[in-house]
Amino acid sequence: MKLAAALLAALAFAALPLLTSSNYIIGIGISALIFTVAAAALNLVYGFTGLLSFAQLGFWGIGGYVTALTVVTFGGNFWWGLVWAALINALVALAIGYPTLRTNRHAFVIVTLTFALLVTLIARDWVDLTRGPLGIPNLPRPSAFGYHFGTTPQFYWVTWAFSVAMLAFLYALCSSRIGRTLIAIKQNEPLVRAQGISPMPYKLSAFAISAAVTGAAGGVYAFHLGIIDPLFLDFYYMQTFLIIVIIGGAGSFWGVVAAGVALSALPEALRFSADFRMIIYGVILVVAMFVMPSGVAGWLRERELNRMREQLR
Amino acid sequence: MSAILDVTDLRKSYAGVHALDGVSFAVEAGSVTGLIGPNGSGKSTAIDCISGFQKRDGGRIVLAGKDISGQAAHHIARAGLMRTFQTVRIYERLNLRDNLAIAAQQFDAATWVDELLRTRRYRQAVEKAETRALELVELIGLKRYWEAETGILSYGQKKLVALAAALMPHPKIVVLDEPVAGVNPSRIREIEVALAELNRAGETFLIVEHNVEFITNLCHRVIVLDQGRKLAEGTAQEIHTDARVLEAYLGMTPEMAEAEMRGAA
Repeated sequence: MKLAAALLAALAFAALPLLTSSNYIIGIGISALIFTVAAAALNLVYGFTGLLSFAQLGFWGIGGYVTALTVVTFGGNFWWGLVWAALINALVALAIGYPTLRTNRHAFVIVTLTFALLVTLIARDWVDLTRGPLGIPNLPRPSAFGYHFGTTPQFYWVTWAFSVAMLAFLYALCSSRIGRTLIAIKQNEPLVRAQGISPMPYKLSAFAISAAVTGAAGGVYAFHLGIIDPLFLDFYYMQTFLIIVIIGGAGSFWGVVAAGVALSALPEALRFSADFRMIIYGVILVVAMFVMPSGVAGWLRERELNRMREQLR
Repeated sequence: MSAILDVTDLRKSYAGVHALDGVSFAVEAGSVTGLIGPNGSGKSTAIDCISGFQKRDGGRIVLAGKDISGQAAHHIARAGLMRTFQTVRIYERLNLRDNLAIAAQQFDAATWVDELLRTRRYRQAVEKAETRALELVELIGLKRYWEAETGILSYGQKKLVALAAALMPHPKIVVLDEPVAGVNPSRIREIEVALAELNRAGETFLIVEHNVEFITNLCHRVIVLDQGRKLAEGTAQEIHTDARVLEAYLGMTPEMAEAEMRGAA
């Protein structure tokens, strides 16, 4: 049922460039897809495993820069750039995660936050590599099999295929026994250990996979923008991913995917009121949190639980 | 009968206080063994050290002929020792079915590739776990909660879920940390009956508990700890009349205990 709905939604999204010729709307579609993927990756570590990672912003930035540098500085192509972005991020995540995940969840939050700030500093100050505050402009759109994805609608297909593939992968992971084990670790780690399961490999893999996916998403997004500079590491992105996860319902795969699409479109839908739109957006978020403190998915689940309690009484 | 769990000279101290000062005991295969003692006598520390949740300072722990001393908790669980916790631990936001399935998943041979491809090995493992889970759910009388999130259950029912989860992978020994503490008295009897039935079916239990009646009814053998040392060991009857035990545990002399029992009768 859910899968059929998801398939339908994916196909509807694929049709977007056929429905409009506005590059502006298609651009929003690209942001919606990419932000949803990044949020789903954050959901894997935060929603499922219970590790609040601010490192996502760093992975996003590293992914963008690695992909851009692969193409511009090292003469590779966009696709290999994405592969490198994913690989390097996974390795970085293993290097940070291995020592940090041995401590506690609070230390993990601090270290990941510091890491994100550090990546920002590197992007700005390692001028030889990143070209500093000026950034790397004119990132060329990719081609494959002789076909050039030069226009925004054409690049939209790339984004769409990437996002669907990533979401399908994350869904397969989250809905498997691995996903269930991650939820178990979040809920009761000592019990997981008492049942013969070592939490460390699970936590570390979730963190690394999330980093790889976020990095590749950053790579695609940088080529959508056509330029990468230190603003790519603006906290705005982290905040967006986090809001999507929390409003959608941490730990709910489809809740976060739905929130990803809805919340990317919402600020644009509010453009009828140019002066107040961000204020309205903020008010909607605050009200949503008051009414549904564990997100839309959490709210639906609570209703379901209450029904069950009634039945069993 | 042979010892399934053999603990020799177990030592543990916190900041100079000897929580365990050379405790040795054995649990026979197929038995129910009680571990009792006043608060602070070292019972909980002992089972935490045995199950790998605390580092022991010294001593040897052998499970079914295999030395498990100093191993990590998940290794000890894989070796066949399952435990429950004093403050009940279950996955409150998963349903009963998933709670039990997770408890068994480390013990089947199915890998994530098996799961991805839905191989026969995976399907058999899931089916086997499900059969076992249904059996246990029937036994603890929670069948109608099969699909329900365990968070909605009462405290006593949660303890039963924790017990069932510990039994899922057919462990060599199950260590229960205060299985009836905080449980409604009417339910205590149910747990007692369930444990006796499981024991008849071949399960071995080591039980830490304060409820003397529960221990007396259930245990073949009782070990008494006091101030980190083994004070006495024997059948429940022997323990009841042991002067040292009465003194340490109840602060009574045998004469007082006898007088009380006569009074009760």
